[in-house]
Amino acid sequence: MIYIAIAAYLLAFVTSMLAFIIRLFATSLLFRRIGRILYLFRRVLYLFGRVLYMFGFAFAVFAYGYRWYDVRHVPLQNLFEVFLCLGMICYPVSWFCRRVLHVGGRCSDMLIGAIVLFPAGFIFNAQPQRLPPALQSWLFVPHVAVYALSYIFMVKAAVQAALELAGRTPSHDEKLLLPEQATYRMICVGFPLLTLGLILGSWWGKLAWGDLWGWDPKELWSLASWLVYVGYFHFRYMFGKKHLRINSIWAIVGVLVIVITLLWVNLSRLFAGLHSYAT
Amino acid sequence: MNKFKQAVLWIGLTLIVSLIFLSIYGAFIGAQRAKDFFNSLPLAIYWIGLTLLLMVGIFVFRRLIHVPGLLFIHAGCVLILAGSLWGSQAGLKLQKKLIEIDKIPAGQMAIFEGASENRVVLENSDQVKELPFHVRLKDFRLDYYQPEFLQVQTEQGKIWKFPVQINTEFSLGDKLGTLKVIRKFENLKLKTEQGKYVPYDDPQPGYNAALEVEIKSPDGQVTTRYAFERFPGHIHPDDKFLLSYQRVIREYISELQIIRDNQVTAEKKIEVNHPLHFGGYHFYQHSYDDRAGQYTILMVVSDTGVTLVYAGYLMLCIGVFWHFWLKHIFAAITRKSK
Repeated sequence: MIYIAIAAYLLAFVTSMLAFIIRLFATSLLFRRIGRILYLFRRVLYLFGRVLYMFGFAFAVFAYGYRWYDVRHVPLQNLFEVFLCLGMICYPVSWFCRRVLHVGGRCSDMLIGAIVLFPAGFIFNAQPQRLPPALQSWLFVPHVAVYALSYIFMVKAAVQAALELAGRTPSHDEKLLLPEQATYRMICVGFPLLTLGLILGSWWGKLAWGDLWGWDPKELWSLASWLVYVGYFHFRYMFGKKHLRINSIWAIVGVLVIVITLLWVNLSRLFAGLHSYAT
Repeated sequence: MNKFKQAVLWIGLTLIVSLIFLSIYGAFIGAQRAKDFFNSLPLAIYWIGLTLLLMVGIFVFRRLIHVPGLLFIHAGCVLILAGSLWGSQAGLKLQKKLIEIDKIPAGQMAIFEGASENRVVLENSDQVKELPFHVRLKDFRLDYYQPEFLQVQTEQGKIWKFPVQINTEFSLGDKLGTLKVIRKFENLKLKTEQGKYVPYDDPQPGYNAALEVEIKSPDGQVTTRYAFERFPGHIHPDDKFLLSYQRVIREYISELQIIRDNQVTAEKKIEVNHPLHFGGYHFYQHSYDDRAGQYTILMVVSDTGVTLVYAGYLMLCIGVFWHFWLKHIFAAITRKSK
């Protein structure tokens, strides 16, 4: 099911990119003569991409649901389960951002979905494990879930920031925010979740190990990622729209630190600590 | 924006960026060294400076006072930092000097089943301090996930994993025969009866969990073997299989009583994630006697400053969700209703 979801996300991305490229070139003289046919072809590709994206999401939901049934607890214990969850929530987040928050990037969301599902399908160990005593806490699910959700928003923010750096703007007919504003909105949505994840983790640490803060590598990297966004807000407040590119760089750095927090800390022996079980 | 406000913002941004780099540095040096590093004197000055700057910021920037979300966020951070400083080792030393409150910051205590104890070995030292009350261990036990498993492996590496069910026969295929679990032992010992070794379950303290397994070959020959939890793959020279008894610990449970003036004043069954809170201390299930299960090791941590930090967490949470989410949701609802 994971492989089908990856394939569907990738195909959705390819068809959407194709539709996008056709739209770019549709105004050229050569194509204007066959404009009507190209327009229809683009619409078909566009719709096909959306259907594939939904199809991929449905399979990701099935995969996640089956995993839940198999392990008999909410599957957020290890990297395999977390990445499966990330691959599943890409679609609803993408839909919510477009419809409610007027932030684009559906095409990139399809690719993000495929990228996050890829290690779940091909790299991470999928062997079901029973929850060790430390993970048998009501804080386990909300702590990991809010982090997963915030990470998707922050990745979307970084995509918008990259679009800002690349000088791209959405087409007028889509009624979407400009990339810099979209970056800010995404971070505004993701930051409370990131904060809640950090606080729930600290509270859980106090209940399980006696320390609100254990100075564990994962904790310190997650603090660093939270602080990058705190820095982003302060920098943006100080300079407003004077340095749009630097604002965008903050957002991209934030996601780089998140990737390190999520992956490198768990996979590298360099950072052995309390969160090592989550590989 | 006047120069003073600009300076406050620049200092704030510098402190944030420097904390990003300090956190990354801390991640590379390991938890224990990072803890020492972030509790060192220069960093204590940094934390105090950050707290003061946040307080100055609240008073200097009117926006922080007039926008409730921002006020909650910044005041929450002040409370978190203040509570952490107050509850730190340096903070507790200061309390001892100033207000003569002498609390144990953190330590461990080992208690045998049926015994009571009030001595705590302090963290990272050999020093022993006494609590003003005794803690008695009524019972310590391990709880395991069900089902438990018997793993069977052939010399060629083929593996089966059967749930442990007494007297249920499992097939290993036409060429290898069948097997069934006859008995379970928590503490297997051997005694001699009429010149023969006979296994029995010793009720005395000790761990040697094992399964008695009867293996029937296709030609009808029956042999009895033992699968041990502690010695997986224990084998006789002529055995065809490696047997292991596999159990996964679900919970460590210590039943504790607090005794003050020879009276039981509190009682709780503590597990990981469910500590006991009494007399200004939290008691956590930390470790246990993995050879005989006779004693438990508790971690004792002072609760000084914790309430302040929790209040800060609550304020920070309310602040970020109000400022970034709820304020806008309410505004949108109001706009729509108009």
